[in-house]
Amino acid sequence: MVSKRFVVKRLLLLVPVLFGVASLVFAILHLAPGDPAKVIVGQRASTAQVQQVRTELGLNDPIWIQYVRFLGDAVVFDFGNSYQIARGTPVREVLVERLPVTIELALYGQVLGILFGIPLGILSAVKQDSITDHLTRVGALAGISVPIFWSGPLLILLFATSLGWLPTSGRIGTAFFLPDTWTLLGTELPLTGMVTVDTLLLGNWEAFVSAVQHLFLPAVVIGIYSMALLSRMMRSSMLEVVRQDYMRTARAKGQGAKITVLKHGLRNALIPVITVIGIQFGTLLGGAVLTETIFGIGGIGTMLVAAIGATDYPLVQGTVLTFALLFTLVNLGVDITYSYLDPRIQQ
Amino acid sequence: MAADTRTRTAASSRGLFDRLRASPFLSNLLSNRLAVAGLGIIFAMVVVALYARLFVAGPFGAPLSDLTSSQLGNAQNKAPPGWLAGQGLLTDIFGTDAQARDIYERTLYGAWLALKWGTVTVGLSTVLGVGLGTLAAYYGDVTDNVIMRTMDVLLAFPSLLLALALVAIFGASLGNAVIALVLVYTPRFARVVRGAALKVLEDEYVDATVALGASDPRVLVKHVLPNSLAPITVQSTLNFGLAIIDLAALSFLGFGAAPGTPSWGIMLSEGVNNGLLTGQWWLSFFPGLFLAVTVLGFNLLGDGMRDALDPRMRETVD
Repeated sequence: MVSKRFVVKRLLLLVPVLFGVASLVFAILHLAPGDPAKVIVGQRASTAQVQQVRTELGLNDPIWIQYVRFLGDAVVFDFGNSYQIARGTPVREVLVERLPVTIELALYGQVLGILFGIPLGILSAVKQDSITDHLTRVGALAGISVPIFWSGPLLILLFATSLGWLPTSGRIGTAFFLPDTWTLLGTELPLTGMVTVDTLLLGNWEAFVSAVQHLFLPAVVIGIYSMALLSRMMRSSMLEVVRQDYMRTARAKGQGAKITVLKHGLRNALIPVITVIGIQFGTLLGGAVLTETIFGIGGIGTMLVAAIGATDYPLVQGTVLTFALLFTLVNLGVDITYSYLDPRIQQ
Repeated sequence: MAADTRTRTAASSRGLFDRLRASPFLSNLLSNRLAVAGLGIIFAMVVVALYARLFVAGPFGAPLSDLTSSQLGNAQNKAPPGWLAGQGLLTDIFGTDAQARDIYERTLYGAWLALKWGTVTVGLSTVLGVGLGTLAAYYGDVTDNVIMRTMDVLLAFPSLLLALALVAIFGASLGNAVIALVLVYTPRFARVVRGAALKVLEDEYVDATVALGASDPRVLVKHVLPNSLAPITVQSTLNFGLAIIDLAALSFLGFGAAPGTPSWGIMLSEGVNNGLLTGQWWLSFFPGLFLAVTVLGFNLLGDGMRDALDPRMRETVD
């Protein structure tokens, strides 16, 4: 059982970290060169116009007042309006629209990684020092070493440009138009923003196929990396477990080798792997920036790159803070799961 | 006199060799074929980098501008590798890019840039992380808390995103990308070093030297540092591969090296812009291959080093 005290303690520890994260993000706006007001009104605007915008944004207030205001707004997820990329739209709305795109991509990548990485890791551990093991290990190291911005373009060149089997970029064919809502038993409901889910909700089978075709290569690129990392973790974790006494006992009792490995070994060996899956989520979000850029997917990653390029600071702040929050929460979730699976951790 | 010196040198070098051979870490490492392969790859890349810096563009080669500025008047652009076009193996072995620059020369020079800036990035973050980690472990209390909580904040961001956010502050350039990555990696070193240093500080001989009146800097430099060297080296090696990838990634996204620079990240981004939809695969393939192989070298070595440190992982299952 996970004790309430443990969870509460972990949550309290989160507060100073998130406070520091928010402070750092605040510093981004105020250390960055250039006047945000000028970004909004344009370089040719008069001084009076610039001053007016500065007053509207509260940039003429003392820095500590701005800081306190920022922290207050950050708590309710209000980062103001985008300066450039989505001019005038609240950052929160932009994030709500873009986040599902990135999460969908990361999820499919992670699922592929788990489906292939974990069995490969088990195989590698069970057949330690065999040819299979060596190949898997070298393959996994190679998978980690290959940058997404190389494997991505090569896969596009092969499967899209040369063979023409798959589309080169985007999320869905241009012929398909997805509405904002769908209807269930006469009630209109908002769509999820995840294109594979939405097309199914709308019952548009052709659009779904198109969405899957578009998602396939980006998910594979992310999946290769994820698979490599997970198979390595699974292997070493499994090797650790296989040496335990209870494994020998199970065998001594006459249980078959396969059943011992799957029933007693896997269950215990999976514990550290879950941690890696969680930690990896952050890496996947970071990787999404690259994957989305390569495959022309309009998620939060491409938006962040554009926002940095256009010095759209509220958007940069909102995005970075959201990523950090997601990352921290996932890690918290992992810690709690971990302590549930292995209660010794709590002490 | 001369003979005497020679004997002494021979004796001391034998001593060093014996010591190295006796070290379980090194013998573990050298018996690991994959780690040795990694070492070989790194060595080969260092040779390539030095060759490129001296003989491709440098004192014994062409001026660097041949690699950075457009060569459109002198050569054909996007020319496929010569051996594909049936022009013999040695003409345009990797082809030319959209600016008619030689991809082979640019790729080799990229090795120099990657290793140089990788060394700077990893070197600076190691020094910073080791400094902060040892201070935190040694002084404990408030110092420890201030340092490590700051590190926690930096660790709360996915690494590439923090680097991107920092580049947003500093402005996009290769130097700033290096600074951003140093800040991203430092906490990892600080954590590893703090852990290792705490272990060393528990040992009684440290108490003994303090009792004998050793000053703080002396204890840190003479005892704590040498004894936490192994985990630091492993972390540096593994981070080297990461630094090379991340620097290339920042350049690829347009927040690192300037356009035209013969760095692998820039070459890959130019390859995507100029060859992806028209099928000129050689624009992306060769720089990426070198990048991946270099990173693989560091990962193989780092992995082997970690196994050598933790011999439990090497036992066979019974």
